[in-house]
Amino acid sequence: MAEELKIGVVSCSGEDCLGGTISRLATRKMLDEVRPDKTVTICLPLFLAGGQEERMFAKTFPTIAVDGCNKACAKRATEKYSGKVNGTILVSDIIGDTVSESAALSTRDVTAEHQTMVDKVAAEITKQFDAILNANSKNQAGSTATSCGCSCSGGCG
Amino acid sequence: MTKKYAVLPCNGLDKCAGQMAREIALTVCEKTDSQLICPVFYRVADARYNKIANENPLLVIDGCATRCASKLAAEKNLKIYRKMTVTDETQKHGVTLAIEPLRLWEDEINLCAALAAELIKEEDVAESMAAAVIYPVPGDYLIHTKDKFMFRIPPEGFYFTENDCWVQPVGNRARIGVADYVQQSLSDIMFFTPPPVGVEVEQFGEAGAIESGKAVFELVCPVSGKIVAINKELLNSPEKINENPYEQGWIAELELTNFDEEKDFLLDADGYLQVLKRKVDEFHVNQRKG
Repeated sequence: MAEELKIGVVSCSGEDCLGGTISRLATRKMLDEVRPDKTVTICLPLFLAGGQEERMFAKTFPTIAVDGCNKACAKRATEKYSGKVNGTILVSDIIGDTVSESAALSTRDVTAEHQTMVDKVAAEITKQFDAILNANSKNQAGSTATSCGCSCSGGCG
Repeated sequence: MTKKYAVLPCNGLDKCAGQMAREIALTVCEKTDSQLICPVFYRVADARYNKIANENPLLVIDGCATRCASKLAAEKNLKIYRKMTVTDETQKHGVTLAIEPLRLWEDEINLCAALAAELIKEEDVAESMAAAVIYPVPGDYLIHTKDKFMFRIPPEGFYFTENDCWVQPVGNRARIGVADYVQQSLSDIMFFTPPPVGVEVEQFGEAGAIESGKAVFELVCPVSGKIVAINKELLNSPEKINENPYEQGWIAELELTNFDEEKDFLLDADGYLQVLKRKVDEFHVNQRKG
């Protein structure tokens, strides 16, 4: 059913660079504010450590990988254990390589400038998120209309 | 002197405790020369962190009982110097974690700062409070055998709890540790979480934990007092508890506050031997039923 679709947003762990921190915060924004009822985040360290619930979710539901830098840990890990991701975001493409590779940041020290970066990344995630939702809705509608193989709107027995 | 660590946090994003693990790790690194290990990148490409992990005392910060960071350290064959689990600490400090939303609020931020400070300064406190007390080494042991297992109990100078912990008092100081039964039951001990130096512990309160692949054992402190030292050897070599839990495997040293009265609630070697025999028999019966 289309209304039950959830989308997994898999953020890189973000320990090595600012891009990672921005990834985490943007993912949290999706979860807390932008699409709270539709977003499920996956704990990447647990996913890698063998978390079966995490892996099953990513196999069953669409996922968007959000990576801080071009090492693309989130995308690679998700594809290794649970199959192709449905969307990818590379934060360094949005905020620039140099900024992205600067030191990791505590959430205590987030400035307005950082928040703008978070908003930009969250906007890009939202764009991909909604595209996946819309495509899924169309697929659902299409499969219902032709489920009985004729043009009778599915009423044939 | 502050500690310099290689810091391996769990870094989980989907639980408040994971967020706190990251926050503590960042704070420790900001305030010392410690270096951070990204658990995700370390798992997929370890070359970048091998040197850091092998050349510095390793501090592992787990968010929750899933202990992803500890498991990663075990997979990489790293020796853990110091370990912290955020959910245990929040319980200890009476902080209730928000389930939803997952943001860190003032209480969590303050606790992160306090825990980071504890990790950084612990060494100073330990060195200033430790005093030279000579603890007699047991000359022989009471032995109880069951099938292939052999359990030792020092006959004199030690008192025991029914929870298989011991105390060896000398003057107003005492060492505490776990009995042979614990190390045999746990098998190979891999991690040692010492009690914080400087804290007051009540009789039968918690005083650190040890952990094997099988289980975690929280040490029940047989006496009340102030922790004045921990057995630092165990941080790098927790297997010393397996080798001899009564000598080189001692856990911590306390300044006693009320031993004369508390002694009444403890068992001597003969009393503990009866408890041990019963436990061993029950364990074997259960094993056969299983």
